[in-house]
Amino acid sequence: MKRTLEPGPHLSPLPEGEENAQRPVRVASRIVWRIVDVIIGGIFIYAGAIKVLDPVQFATDIDNYKILPWTISVGLAFYLPWLEMFCGLALILRRLYLGGLSILTALVAVFLVATIAAKVRGLDITCGCFGHASQNWNFPTHLALDLAILGALLALSVRVLPGNRLQNAV
Amino acid sequence: MRSSLVRQALILAALALVPGLGQAIYFRDRVSWRSPIPASEMVTVTQARAWGENAIWIDARPDEEFARDHVPGALSLNEDRWNELLPQFLAAWSPEKKVVVYCGSEGCNASREVARRLRKEAQLPNVFVIEGGWEEWLKTRK
Repeated sequence: MKRTLEPGPHLSPLPEGEENAQRPVRVASRIVWRIVDVIIGGIFIYAGAIKVLDPVQFATDIDNYKILPWTISVGLAFYLPWLEMFCGLALILRRLYLGGLSILTALVAVFLVATIAAKVRGLDITCGCFGHASQNWNFPTHLALDLAILGALLALSVRVLPGNRLQNAV
Repeated sequence: MRSSLVRQALILAALALVPGLGQAIYFRDRVSWRSPIPASEMVTVTQARAWGENAIWIDARPDEEFARDHVPGALSLNEDRWNELLPQFLAAWSPEKKVVVYCGSEGCNASREVARRLRKEAQLPNVFVIEGGWEEWLKTRK
């Protein structure tokens, strides 16, 4: 008996009724993800703008981690805030989206590792993430905020992975 | 997708370089690229001790550490109770006296912050940070 290859349920197009029923869900999902884009992008624009206003203080904050030489800390203090702001803008405007998302994810991951390493080494550090606004935050608060931002960035990254049906951004 | 990601990341990295460089040039006279604290604002324990009565010692560590032990005659002034402790310090301060700030160790930041705030907010001259902080004091005391 000759076997014919029939499309499985995952390959068959959705019936028109089902397609219509799912449309509001997809629209709502897209709106929610746009809101996440704007919030995360806004957070990085705010964080970058605060640090741009006082690069010397930010250089001191980087130096407190005792990982990099002072000269590199100063260089990063001039560069990183602008990078954060451009990447934040990329998320909000959806231009260079993938690049912005990957840079911000890498920055937050590196920052998290550095923060935990500093804590383990017993360093009395000022985070500097949000300028003076974050100076009195304790370690768990820093950690919780960083993990929340990293989680949101990873969720946005998963959403734009190739093959994901929700992907709609480049 | 990967090449697109790398290309976009490189574009953003290059874009950020432009204002970053501009700002570095603008701030060239306001920040030292060699040391976080100018050498003129750091002192050793021995130097500060030599100032004797002409120096006020400030302990920038948290209250409980100050209560446990501190440099004899030092006043507590930390950021946790800044508004409460600053008037007490100012009452003891006089213009001819040098202010010597210390915190726990070389790695701590509290002494730098307190020194910075004393210079910026209280507009005090002659504020110095002790190299090595309390740990260095303990070594030289022995």
